[in-house]
Amino acid sequence: MKRLVAFFAIVTGLACSALPQTSDGNAPARRLVILKVDGLNADLLYRTMRERDPATGKSRLPWFAHIFDDNGIIFENFYTRGISLSAPSWSMLDTGRHTVIRGNVEYDRHTGYIYDYLNFFPFYLGYARKREVDMSGVEVLDRAGIPLMIERFPYAQILQSFQLYQRGVSWTTLKHALERRFSSKFLFATIESTGAPTLDAVLAQQTEQDLLTGLKEGKILYLDFYSGDVDHEGHATNQRAALLEVLRRLDGLAGRIWAGIEASPLAPETLFVVVSDHGMNNEPGIFSQSFSLPDLLNSPQGGAHHVITNRHQLQEFKISGLDPLVRRVITPSTASFYLAGQSGQYPTAWLDLDGNERAAVHLRNSDLNKLHILLLELAKPGLPSEVRAAAAMSVEETIGRHRSEWTRTADELDEELGALARAIAERKATVAQQPRSWTAAQHDRGEDKAARRLQEELQSWEREHAEYTSYLAHVRALLAFRPDRDQPFRGSIARLIPENSLGDNNSIADLEHYIAGPAASGPVVDANGNLDESRSFRFVDYFSLLVSQRARNNPQAALSPQPIDFIAARLPDGAVANGPDCQHAYWLYGNEQRQLLVLSDRDARISLRPVQDLTQDAEGKIHAHRLNWQPGLPLRLFEDARLNLPAGADRGEWLSGWHSEGEWLNAIHRCHYSNGVIGVIEELSPVQDNVPGRPGTPPLLLRYERRKRELVQPDFHVFAADHWNFNVRNFNPGGNHGAFFRISTHSVWMMAGAGLPIKRIEAPYDSLSFASTVLSLLGDEPPMPDRVVRLK
Amino acid sequence: MYLFGVSIASSIPRSLSKAVRMGVQIHKLTVLLLCGAGACLAADVPEQRPQTAMVRENNRSTYHWQAKSIEGTAQLLTLFCHSCRIGKASDDVPLVAVLRDTLGDNNPENDRVTYVWLLTYARLNAGQRMLSAVPFFYWRVGAGSESGKDTAPLMDLTAPQHPVLSEISRDLLQWTTLDPLTMPVRATSRAYRTNALDYERLHLQEAIGYLREAPSSGRPSELTPLELDTVIARLELRKRLLGGLASEREAARFGEEAGFADERIRSRNWELLRQCAERTGLLFEPLDVAGTSDQYAILWLRMGGAPPTPGVALKPVWKLLNIKDPWTDERVRNWRGPVFTRALAEDGSLAQDGSPAVRQARLVPLAVYSLKYPKLPLLLVDFRDKLRVRRHEMTQRAINEITSGVIGISHFTNWYYYVAADIYDFVVSRHGAAMDAAARLDCYSQFRIELALDHSLDPDLRSDVQRRVESLAINPLEGSVDREVQVAKTRYALLDSKTDSGGPLAERIDKERRAELAAFGESKKSRVVQTLLHDGTFGLYTQRAKSQGTNLAELERDRRIEYQLNFLDSLAQGGPQPEVTHDSSRIRASVEELSGLMTQVRSQEIRAHAAAVLAKLQEISADAELRSDCSFALAALTRNAEPARAASGRVVAALPAGVAASGGAAAVK
Repeated sequence: MKRLVAFFAIVTGLACSALPQTSDGNAPARRLVILKVDGLNADLLYRTMRERDPATGKSRLPWFAHIFDDNGIIFENFYTRGISLSAPSWSMLDTGRHTVIRGNVEYDRHTGYIYDYLNFFPFYLGYARKREVDMSGVEVLDRAGIPLMIERFPYAQILQSFQLYQRGVSWTTLKHALERRFSSKFLFATIESTGAPTLDAVLAQQTEQDLLTGLKEGKILYLDFYSGDVDHEGHATNQRAALLEVLRRLDGLAGRIWAGIEASPLAPETLFVVVSDHGMNNEPGIFSQSFSLPDLLNSPQGGAHHVITNRHQLQEFKISGLDPLVRRVITPSTASFYLAGQSGQYPTAWLDLDGNERAAVHLRNSDLNKLHILLLELAKPGLPSEVRAAAAMSVEETIGRHRSEWTRTADELDEELGALARAIAERKATVAQQPRSWTAAQHDRGEDKAARRLQEELQSWEREHAEYTSYLAHVRALLAFRPDRDQPFRGSIARLIPENSLGDNNSIADLEHYIAGPAASGPVVDANGNLDESRSFRFVDYFSLLVSQRARNNPQAALSPQPIDFIAARLPDGAVANGPDCQHAYWLYGNEQRQLLVLSDRDARISLRPVQDLTQDAEGKIHAHRLNWQPGLPLRLFEDARLNLPAGADRGEWLSGWHSEGEWLNAIHRCHYSNGVIGVIEELSPVQDNVPGRPGTPPLLLRYERRKRELVQPDFHVFAADHWNFNVRNFNPGGNHGAFFRISTHSVWMMAGAGLPIKRIEAPYDSLSFASTVLSLLGDEPPMPDRVVRLK
Repeated sequence: MYLFGVSIASSIPRSLSKAVRMGVQIHKLTVLLLCGAGACLAADVPEQRPQTAMVRENNRSTYHWQAKSIEGTAQLLTLFCHSCRIGKASDDVPLVAVLRDTLGDNNPENDRVTYVWLLTYARLNAGQRMLSAVPFFYWRVGAGSESGKDTAPLMDLTAPQHPVLSEISRDLLQWTTLDPLTMPVRATSRAYRTNALDYERLHLQEAIGYLREAPSSGRPSELTPLELDTVIARLELRKRLLGGLASEREAARFGEEAGFADERIRSRNWELLRQCAERTGLLFEPLDVAGTSDQYAILWLRMGGAPPTPGVALKPVWKLLNIKDPWTDERVRNWRGPVFTRALAEDGSLAQDGSPAVRQARLVPLAVYSLKYPKLPLLLVDFRDKLRVRRHEMTQRAINEITSGVIGISHFTNWYYYVAADIYDFVVSRHGAAMDAAARLDCYSQFRIELALDHSLDPDLRSDVQRRVESLAINPLEGSVDREVQVAKTRYALLDSKTDSGGPLAERIDKERRAELAAFGESKKSRVVQTLLHDGTFGLYTQRAKSQGTNLAELERDRRIEYQLNFLDSLAQGGPQPEVTHDSSRIRASVEELSGLMTQVRSQEIRAHAAAVLAKLQEISADAELRSDCSFALAALTRNAEPARAASGRVVAALPAGVAASGGAAAVK
């Protein structure tokens, strides 16, 4: 009998352990409802939630307080990981993995292809024309082999709203929204002049309606609602009352969703989540001021570049600003040193300014500039022979210096393009076999979309193959080029120097000594008959140039006249002499005397080193003078009163010590720059490490995908000082985000339902914990099990 | 050179009679008319002015309310500008008055704001009216009317729909009767109407401007935030053709959102102008004028300063600023206008309060902008070309008068012209031109009055700017700002004198109350009929209840019913489970009070409304007690289908003597 009891006990135990368990040990939730709010600062929300409205006798945001404060979980210290921009932040929240998307717009340095993650219009148009099926960000994640959280659900069980990482477009929602827009109620409101709702508002109403209907039916197990209203209002104004009004509307929406959940058949098994991607640096009484990086880069002092942005400057004051499909805008410099009139072919500075507190800067490779300038000189018939010979030698020497690197790149790219060509052929065969029409059942299963996805990817592959092949031809031509030392150059520069391409990334040494144009007096030959480079070219040191900028018009005492806070760039692996521990190193440049190295090791531990006068020598080695810890260094950690160190720890020693990421987050998250130390690493670490590739991807194609992600990495990132921004498209005087300021990174994460405990979680977490925890609560395998938050 | 009315009129001795003065003015005007065009085209030659003045620290003026009781049942609330400047002296200036009918209690739930007076608004004299009908006449003559004997309110908030109907009637009259007549009739009638509309808008905007600065709270001596929002909204809506048809709730929402929109515009323009200054090498300084903050800004050019760095195409920026590039302008190189000395910080920016100044610099004022124009900073003053803005305004007006007045291009038959004109306007405005004439007028009107009230700007700068702004007056109906400020005091004194018991204001309030009593619970159809009757008789007919001792009590009850219905409506429309968003005891108290009050109401309209809202609340609430209360209230409503309200003889039509009394006895509800 005892044996029998023991047997049953064991069987029961095994059966129980085989059942799905969640992070809190409860039975898993079945349905997930997410309210995604762009740009909602957690401090603002939580503070308002806990204020009492004397008019109602309840919280100012009564639904949020009721659902989450009284009946759910609130993560008091939840942060954006990396820079506080929408595209990278949502990618981490939606996938639960390290990001491979690191800006709101990214440029392929070799081909000039633009990944514009925020523009919905080209996607809608492409979708209507059956050319596109997913938003640009989703395509990138697909190629990188990173699944979205929604892919845990079958196609028919998903109701996704309009958002950045969107698969497909719900035409029914759009159609109904348009019907609402032209309803009699709407027209009457227009006639009355009391402000008819915008199309966005009507679309939001329709999306809500669809969501509530979906909740009622109970067949759909993933529903979300994406709202950009808080972000838009926060950018536009810093009025507390206006922001409160938007929060109130959001609160009402949360209430309606919650009531819909409660009234639905799956109520006990539904997990309701509110999450925001980042905060907003929005303070009443302070206007956010813009500093124009395009103007600086257009100017002779900044290199007289022709500048590419993804949107028009002051777009509201241009007819071309109405173009909804815009993704490349060139602002020519009127002072270009050697590329006057060639802005369309040779824009040499490409900027990602979206997001505003941070800008990513890509500059054409300094040696490509040098070659271009020298080729222009060599083409002049009247060039003195000794200068021609010196210039030709310099061209040869420059190509020679890059020969091994370029040859390797060309060989590897050749291999990868070969693999790509094979994949294209296979895909063509697959696509040819696809049916031309689809049954209703196939539509319901999303099979038509899957087929279109394959087709769309095939088109991308073909385009990429052509573009990289063209780039490769230029590299090969350059490698084969032998300048004539006696005769003027008669070839085509465009055959050697690719148009709309930046070449390889610049090194730190290049950026400190960037060739921006020929010297005013032209090329100069030294006593040995060589080109005297220091006198033959104009140079720019971008690090000191940028931080030396001062605003002439700064009427607000709260703002520093120095618009740029610091510059961040990755240092080459192994170039920093910091012992065997250091795997990667990142450099934060405040000025010549105030710099910080962020080091990470193979165990993902992090350490900081204050330095000054960092330089890179010709061999690529980094040299810097050590500095004692002191106030005024980038990230201002040493002097921050909210730095939370173990009792008795010496600040300098602790900051220079090696600590795990968790220890760092605990120590710094309340500081002015919140989790900036971790954010720098997330943003600048080698991106190919984060590209797992789709299962079964051939190694060459995986290498190709990783290369493509590496090619969109900028030369450096510029971070704005508090309340400054880099917006040039229009005006965001209300506030901005993008940097590591706590106000910009402190985000919202609240959950309720499905038997979750009621609690406020004070421990700090970041974006990587979100999807893993939510998927764990649904009983699924989390993408990063070590990031799951244990709720009990 | 000041060629316009204000300076000429000021030379006329005050002792001359009105008629003589008018004759002199018309004579002068003839001369003006002849030389006007030439004068308009002449660029301003800056005056020689050796100057080293600084803009003084701006102190925020305070706007405050003063309350005066009317028979203990209403209040006249007057908004004063504290220590505002009038002429050369500083004094408290009354600006706007509102009448709040409180019914004599301290309960704000049954209060109504019924009238708004703009005290600076003076009745027009005949000469002004005549001149305003002269086509292509764009000058103000004299300082304007001195009359402060008019107590007609700027707006009656209890009947916002009336101006809508009268405006539509006037438009119809113009299109159907006057336009088809001869060209002189069409041109003069259109000129008069345009000037009259602009004149009204100017004052509506002036009142809105003051009210935006007004404090609000729950204190008895001030308007509540909701009342203030609603008053502002009603004034804003008055500027729109069908705005008067908006409901109370829509108006309140509109008022709040209009305030947010104004702030968005202001901050956006602030940053746009600052950016433009930064790019063009100029210095940007926000101006605090008459207690307003960051609503205006000035651009300075530093004498001997460095021009903007090359490399950037600045043509679009100068276009946006609407001024010529001063770095290449001969007039600046040989500048003879005002120059101000200011302290600069080390980096060349204007030294801020408390920050160390390292050197003094001589600055040339280039332009003053309003930051309230919807799309971009609006040029108000160009110090190099005094007539620039005026020329633009006159050209716009002249084009309109030629097309619609002289040629007679019609919106209906020549719609393609207007489509083309709209496309042109759109394209030009996308390139930075301010094409919205009404919004421009709003900005000008507010600036001129705020400048007149200001006492914080540097006196030299202010008087210089003021002279230039006065030249913007192209409407013969306008008066001078100083005159308007003087009139405000006279008008306030007059209004104040009418607040006595049994006085004209008390009488007006009584009439309003009786009309409100009569209108309570009317069906929509009936409301439309009454409005048409009122407007059809040019306001002579108004349906009113009989004057009797119980009126106040009945009105109090009606207003409480309306208040509770509005409150419960807002809950019913606000989403599920109202007990989550509002204290449930408060909701239950409201249901209970409504239920009690409804026993005395017979109006089917009100009863149906109450039943619907109670049923809705019962449906959406998850609170058992609240649901039960709603259920009881609904049952009581059904039981008391025949209310106990004594109704006989309560409502009669109040008709003035001489008007047929056919509709005199209104239906008893």
